[in-house]
Order: sequence, then C-alpha cells, then structure tokens
Amino acid sequence: MKANSLNNTKYEELEKKSPDELTNMFMNRISGQNMKLIEGLEFLIEEDFTKFEENLKDVIKTETEVEIKKAFEAKLWKKRTVFAKADRLKVFGKINDLKNIGEFMANRLLLYKVVFPDEKFKLRIAGILKSLKLISTNISEAVKSIGTDLEKAHDFCEIVKEERRKMRKEEFALLKRLYNYSMDYLSRTFLYLKNMIEDIMMMADHIKSFSEYIQFLATKYLIFK
Amino acid sequence: MEYEFAGIIVVVLIVLAISLSFSIGANDETTAPLAAAGTLKFKLVLIFGGFAIGFGTIFLSRGVASMVGEKLLGPSIQYSIWMLLSVLISAIIWLVIGSFSGIPLSSTHSLIGSIFGVVIVYAISKGGINPTTAFNNEKLFGVVLSWFLSPAIGLLVTYGIFKIIAYFYLSRLKGLNRIEKSEKNFSLILVVAVFFAEIWVGANSAEALGILYALFDNGSISIEGYYFFVVLCAITAFLGLYFAGRFVIKNLASQLTEARPSDGFIIQLSSAIILMVCTVLYSVPVSHSHVIVFCIIGMNMAQKKEVDYKGLGKMFVYWLLTFPIAGLFAGILYYGFVSVGLY
Repeated sequence: MKANSLNNTKYEELEKKSPDELTNMFMNRISGQNMKLIEGLEFLIEEDFTKFEENLKDVIKTETEVEIKKAFEAKLWKKRTVFAKADRLKVFGKINDLKNIGEFMANRLLLYKVVFPDEKFKLRIAGILKSLKLISTNISEAVKSIGTDLEKAHDFCEIVKEERRKMRKEEFALLKRLYNYSMDYLSRTFLYLKNMIEDIMMMADHIKSFSEYIQFLATKYLIFK
Repeated sequence: MEYEFAGIIVVVLIVLAISLSFSIGANDETTAPLAAAGTLKFKLVLIFGGFAIGFGTIFLSRGVASMVGEKLLGPSIQYSIWMLLSVLISAIIWLVIGSFSGIPLSSTHSLIGSIFGVVIVYAISKGGINPTTAFNNEKLFGVVLSWFLSPAIGLLVTYGIFKIIAYFYLSRLKGLNRIEKSEKNFSLILVVAVFFAEIWVGANSAEALGILYALFDNGSISIEGYYFFVVLCAITAFLGLYFAGRFVIKNLASQLTEARPSDGFIIQLSSAIILMVCTVLYSVPVSHSHVIVFCIIGMNMAQKKEVDYKGLGKMFVYWLLTFPIAGLFAGILYYGFVSVGLY
C-alpha cells in the first residue's frame, strides 16, 4: 500500500515534466545503464567476475524506465498540438531500443565466464569498448541537444558516425584474430567471444542508425537563411 | 404561356446557381491546414470555414458578381435566360468531366469561357452586333490577364514572405522546443489567416453570384430578390462545406499532419492577399485553386524543395484548354437554343 502511494507520487512528479525533459531523463538512465554495461565488460577483461556480474545485473534491472515511458506517452497523447509528436515518439522508441539491446547483451554475457585468449585480444576489445563508450556518450548528448540546439545534435552525430566507421575496421581485425586461434577444443569461448563482438557492433550499429535519424530531424526542422 | 416558361427557366437558373454554391463549399479546401494543425476541433473548423465563406459571399462579392453578370459584356448586349442556361450547363458539364477524369479544372475559367462562347454565338446569330465589340474588351482582357498574374504573383508573394520570416525569425530557432513553441503560435495565427483567406474565397466565388447578378441585370429578379438569393447561396456554401467538404478537408488534412503551421500560415496569407486584391481593387474572378497551387510552389522553391514541373506542365495545359473548350461547349449548346428561336 505504502509502496503503491510512493509510486504514485513519483508518477505525479513525472507528469509535471515536459516531453523534452522526460526524454532527457530517459536518455540519462539508459546512457547510465550503457556505461555500466561497458564498465562490466572492462571488468571482464580484468577477469573481475564479481564486479562484472554486479554491473550486468544492474543493466538488466528495470526501475523507473517504465514510469518515464508511460508519463511520456500520456503527455504526448493528450496534446493535440504538439507539432513534432511523431518524431518525439520515434526518438523515445529508439532510446528504448538501446535499453533492449543492452539488456539482451547483458543476458547473453552472463551465460558464461570467459577468459580471454591473450593480452593482444584484450587490448583490442578494450579499444572497441572505448569507441562504444565514446559513441554512447555522444548519442546521449545528441539526444539531449534535440530540444535546444539541433545543429549541435547534428555535430554530435557526426562524431558517432566517424567513430563507428573505425569500429567496423576493428571488428573485422578482432574476428580475424579470433578465427585464427587454435582453440577449436574451446568452442564455448570462441562462440562467446564471437557473440560478444557481434553484440557490441549491434549496439554500435543501432547508435549509428539513431544518429542518422537525429541528423534527419535536424535537416527536417532547421530552416537556414 | 411563354412568360410562364421563362419563369420556370429563371427558377431553374436560380436552383442551379444555388447548387453551384453548394459545390463551391463542398470543394473548398482552405481550412485543411487548420484541421491538420489541430488548433480547433474538426467540427469547429468546418463551422468556422463555412461562416467565413458565407460572410465573404454576402458582404464582399458584389464587385466580382457584377463583373461576371454585367460589366464583362459590351454596351449593346445583355444576358438572356437561354444564354445563362447554356453557360451554367456547359460550366457544370465541363467540371463534371474534369472531376471524373481527375483533371484539376477551374470553375471560374470554365464559367468565363462559357460566357465567351455564348456571347460570340449570340453576336453572330443575332446580327447587327460586331463580335469584337460584344465584350467590354478592357474588362475581359483584365480578367484573362489576372488568371496569369494572380498565380504568378501568388508564387512571388509566398516566396518573399517566407524568405523574410525565415531570415528574421525561423532561421534563428535552433532547438525543437523553440520550434515547437513557435509552430504552436503559428497554428494560432493560422486561424486568423484561414478565416481571412476563406472570406475572400467566398467573395471571389463568382460562378453562382455572377449568374444571379445577370438575372438581376436583365430584370428577371429584383435587387431584393438578388440579395435574398445571395444569402441563400452563402447558406448553401456553408452547408456544402459542412456536409460535403468535410471529406475533402479530412482527406487533405490527414496528408498535412507533418506540414508546419508556419508554412500553412504563409501560404494562406499570400493567397488571401491575392484574392483580396483581385476582389477589392479589380473585381476580377480568379481561380482560387490555381492561386493556392502556385503559392505552394513558391513555398517549395523558397525552401529549395523539389517542384513537380511535369505535373505543373500538365496542369498548365488543362488550364489553357479550359477556356476554349468550355466556350466551344457553351457555344454549341446555345446555338441549339438559337436554332429553335430561343435567344
């Protein structure tokens, strides 16, 4: 009963926020979870399995996201004159997809405790994670700039696209390295690492497509002299 | 007997003119951007549009009606009921053909074309009237010229207004929050622009009122009768917009949901200015659909968007053909009446 009324108060507070504030709030939460995921992978590289598991379980946990989503949708639903309603909903949906991909990755990564084949592999994975961190930060900034400065959002997205291009090269270098290890007897490790690389790239691809969408919005809404 | 028959034809003409008013309301899409912006509830949009078109019809249409019903003709010619019947039938048939074949035709152009056809046949068949002086050539030239100038000026005005607003205001809005707020404000002033435009659509819709004015001019109806039927036309235009126009408006509005209210405002304002100038200063009947199409083209050009020149070329051909074909149609029809002695 008490928990219920606490939830109601939280929801009422959310209802007072504008669609833009709710989007930013949602983005902050999902971005935080993405950082936890990346950090968790870094712990995996360091073979600190306890912290790795802690972080990934945090990613799977869902707290206020559903409330924020409900408040956001209710807000847009009620307003007849919100001009960019469809686009705002799509942006929110794309942030939600980021969460789903993060959760999917976390669940898959928790299936097994992998030990990396060698230091060079670890270094390359650390490099690709650094890029993922960079594009995650930039997409978060881009989303938060949509409401205030679409030109700035467009620039953040350019950084995302550039970094993702670099990641693609790194992905194939890593896969090549993986396929050339003589570890057929350790097929679980091979499968796990292959899936991990592909999942990281799936997240990167989604962020890239999201950034392209934000750039489309900038082109659609900005009027130049 | 002959007097009774003429009376029946006058009644038929009045009924046709009033029906034409209904179809003017039914085909009017001026309020579509307002319905798309969601500023007012749909029913209110229809009532609001119907009221504006009715207001324009009652209070501001006299100049254009007298141009069509009297001033276009030369001093020695007056419309007969058979001429008016030929004009109306021809204009309606040509518009029906256009609607069924999906060709965008102007009712104004087809009406004036039909008048041209019957007057020429009248002048030739009656004898003693020089076809070259059957019209007030200066007025006729002014009307035809306005058909070319009004869309062209509409394009330029829209282009200019957009560039000015974009330079001083729209280009300074960088974030979606401010853009949304600005568009919300535009959707409010769009109400004023649409009302303004709709008034001038009503005032410039010469088809029905021109026929009524001609009936007044030839003595078939009194001035009180004329005003009574003008009010009736305004009411039927309102009803046409409310009951039949809703489908056209809803359909167009559903395609305009992504359109910016600021674009709608600029387009409606420009077309209203053109219609107002044509109505008040020159009393010339122009095609509202042609003006609005060119205003949209002006907007696309100003925003560097693609313009469908192929579609535009096709429209231009129909535009040029409407006048002579409607004229030929009406001429043949009227010749049929003349050949049995009904001048």
